[in-house]
Amino acid sequence: MIESALGRLDDVLLLIFAAGALVGALLMIVLREPMRVATALISTMVFLGGIYGLLGVHFIAAFQVLIYVGAVMVFMVYVIMMLDPRDPAIQQPFSKMLVPGVVGFVLLIFVLVGATWKQAPAPLPGVAEGFGLQQFAVAFLRQYWLQFELTSVLLVAAIVAAVAVVKLHRRG
Amino acid sequence: MGALSWIVVLPLVGFLVNGLAGNRLGKRFVSVVGCGLPIASFLIAAASVAALLANDSKPVIDVAFTWATFGRQSFEIAFYLDRLSAVMVLVVTGVGSLIHIYSTGYMHEDESYARFFAYLNLFLFFMLLLVLGRSMLVLFVGWEGVGLASYLLIGFWFEDPEKAAAGKKAFITNRIGDAGFLLGMFLVFFACGTLDMDRVNAIFAQGVPAGVTASVIGVLLFIGATGKSAQIPLHVWLPDAMAGPTPVSALIHAATMVTAGVYLVARMSGIFVHAEFASNLVATIGVLTAFFAASVALVQTDIKRVLAYSTISQLGFMFLAAGVGAYGVAIFHVVTHAFFKACLFLGAGSVIHAMSGEQDIRKMGALAKKIPVTFATFAVSTAAIAGLPPLSGFFSKDEILWFAYGSSFGGAPWLLLLASATALMTAFYMFRLLWLTFFGSPRMDEEVAHHIHESPWSMTGVLVVLALLAAFGGFFSIPHFLEPLLPLPLIRPEAQSFHGPLVWIATGLGVGGLLLAAYFYANDGERAARLKPKFERIHKLLSGKYYIDELYEAVLGRPLNWISEKVFLRIGDRFLIDGSLDGLAALAQRSAKGLARLQTGNLHLYTFLVLAGLVGALLWSWRNG
Amino acid sequence: MDKVQLLLSLAIALFSIGLLGVIVRRNLLVMLMCMELMLNGVNLSLVTFAHQMGEMVGAVLVFLIFVVATAEIAVAIPIVLLLVKRKHSLDLGAYMDLKG
Repeated sequence: MIESALGRLDDVLLLIFAAGALVGALLMIVLREPMRVATALISTMVFLGGIYGLLGVHFIAAFQVLIYVGAVMVFMVYVIMMLDPRDPAIQQPFSKMLVPGVVGFVLLIFVLVGATWKQAPAPLPGVAEGFGLQQFAVAFLRQYWLQFELTSVLLVAAIVAAVAVVKLHRRG
Repeated sequence: MGALSWIVVLPLVGFLVNGLAGNRLGKRFVSVVGCGLPIASFLIAAASVAALLANDSKPVIDVAFTWATFGRQSFEIAFYLDRLSAVMVLVVTGVGSLIHIYSTGYMHEDESYARFFAYLNLFLFFMLLLVLGRSMLVLFVGWEGVGLASYLLIGFWFEDPEKAAAGKKAFITNRIGDAGFLLGMFLVFFACGTLDMDRVNAIFAQGVPAGVTASVIGVLLFIGATGKSAQIPLHVWLPDAMAGPTPVSALIHAATMVTAGVYLVARMSGIFVHAEFASNLVATIGVLTAFFAASVALVQTDIKRVLAYSTISQLGFMFLAAGVGAYGVAIFHVVTHAFFKACLFLGAGSVIHAMSGEQDIRKMGALAKKIPVTFATFAVSTAAIAGLPPLSGFFSKDEILWFAYGSSFGGAPWLLLLASATALMTAFYMFRLLWLTFFGSPRMDEEVAHHIHESPWSMTGVLVVLALLAAFGGFFSIPHFLEPLLPLPLIRPEAQSFHGPLVWIATGLGVGGLLLAAYFYANDGERAARLKPKFERIHKLLSGKYYIDELYEAVLGRPLNWISEKVFLRIGDRFLIDGSLDGLAALAQRSAKGLARLQTGNLHLYTFLVLAGLVGALLWSWRNG
Repeated sequence: MDKVQLLLSLAIALFSIGLLGVIVRRNLLVMLMCMELMLNGVNLSLVTFAHQMGEMVGAVLVFLIFVVATAEIAVAIPIVLLLVKRKHSLDLGAYMDLKG
């Protein structure tokens, strides 16, 4: 009984987190100031992290919060703080393509959701457990070692780019 | 390569050598090559003819090479020597060589000496293709080629736009006739499956093949002959062609090229004997042309123009003979005409040479004592063309008059009547020419009179030879010579008895013309001048050549010009062709401008287009499963 | 509607909203953040599929996307900074130099 209650709790939490992520996303495109937009995005990301946790991949949830919120969004917030708030972009937040954009958006939703709902995906093959960190790490060292090394190359490239920009900035 | 091929090729070699290298190798070299090769052709021709006669006149066929093969049909370049082409080839090479020799004297001062001889040799080459060709195709190549050579030579002094225009007129008028010739050739090929003339004649001898009418073919071929031999209505180019140098007028427009039409009719006699309507047409047009041309010649004042109209008239006589079935007689007149007309033209050239370029006979006179050789040969030839016995012209003209009346294949009294009137006019205007040019008092400028001199032996020698031929050439009866090949028509029974009287009538016409001319034109034509006001209107009509050129200009020339200008230039060329090209370019430009509006530089638009494309692709894949 | 459908619909919604944001918003930084939202939507769908199919590949891919997104931001932001130094504006309307 506790398990069925817990199962229902899981579902309820899932719904709440999903709703929260959605609201955050919608707020993003409505709010005027960049700082508030950043906050909305952060909240969406955190809710997503929660969803990942509910799905059993806790380490992914941890990475979500650590990397996305902790590194990426913090960086964004720094930059927002650096730049001038009296920018005309804040005065008129929406572009000229608002109406066509919304129309296209509705069509896209319609098509994609319709497609997923038409072909109802197969029910879960009973892996509600999720993956463990250990398994994950081992997979990286065994099967996906190439991708792992490539990501390190990518990060080096990013560092070099950042350094180059700093040099440019300093010269200017 | 057989002898016949050599006859044809030697002048071509002359053309190439003189044309390409003549300028650099000097006048003497050009003369030797330019005259020597035609003379060589003549000698080979003579030898070939002798061989032919020795061999019982069996036709000689010399195949040079195969031109084209389509399936089972093959077209060869082949040459054919029988009695008819023997006569023609001897005349062409013989008279041609003489005129070449004459040209060395006449064109001596001209700076384009080499070009002249190159073109003359080219002409000779094509003319020989024409007369020696076995197939109508080879004949047609020669036909077109002599037209080309004629154009080049008439417009020889092309820096004068009038002379160049005369060349163009000749070529274009010829081409109209050639359209008829081609259609005739197509019909012949359709009927017989071959264009070899001996085989075509043999097929027609068995009867007209199915699907064609001999008369239609005859008319079409005659249209071609009309263009080439200057008959009505395509005669307008010949008088203008006098713009060319006099040897050209003699060779091409008297002795050889213009007779190609007569040769064609004679050669295709196998078809014409079945074509009553066509033959009647030939005879009618022939006699009408003869009459009208003679009437115009009565009032001409340029020495060469008189001779030009005379040529048209004499060609009419030849077609008259051919139209009543007397093909051998027509060829006979071709030969005698070649002799005396060439002599007359070259004599005129000698007169012009003596008169420092003057061609108006009103400004001549009293030349007989000053240029005696020219005078003597000119007089002999004039008598020949007038038909005075026993010169050659008498024999040939008499035969024509006889068959015009008595032939059972279309001979009729009215033909004789018109032909006789023409003969009278011929004698009259030729003796008028003789009197005004050589007798009376000198009507020229002092300067010109001072320079009058007899021409060099290169010119007078040729005149003498031609005059002798004109005098005695009639004794060799060509109609009899050709009879095995071209049988003479039967005589109508009611006309049989008229032959004797006709000879006397013919002589009377010639003498009568002489006396009339002497009467009116002695003393510089004072009696004729007194008579002129009474006939003012007729005189104007004749001087204006019956205004045919003006008629053609108004009926054909101006409308064609209008169509070319308004329809083809404005609408066809500028609007359609230029318009479509410009339109295409404008279309490209405008569409490019339109498409450039997509590149706004606005990232939002680009992203929206990505979204739109994505939606579209998804919808499409959704629709198609 | 079961879990997978819900999550997939959410992922689609997040992705579409992000795309809409790129089209609709004028501020450069906000556009960047909307692109991050798109990435998150994709991540969610990957995790959902990984959960549904039980394959490790999904999780691995998600991790790799994290790394790439980070590197991307690390380079994109300096680019934005340099652009702003030039044009002194964060408005996309100022960056229409490629017109025509």
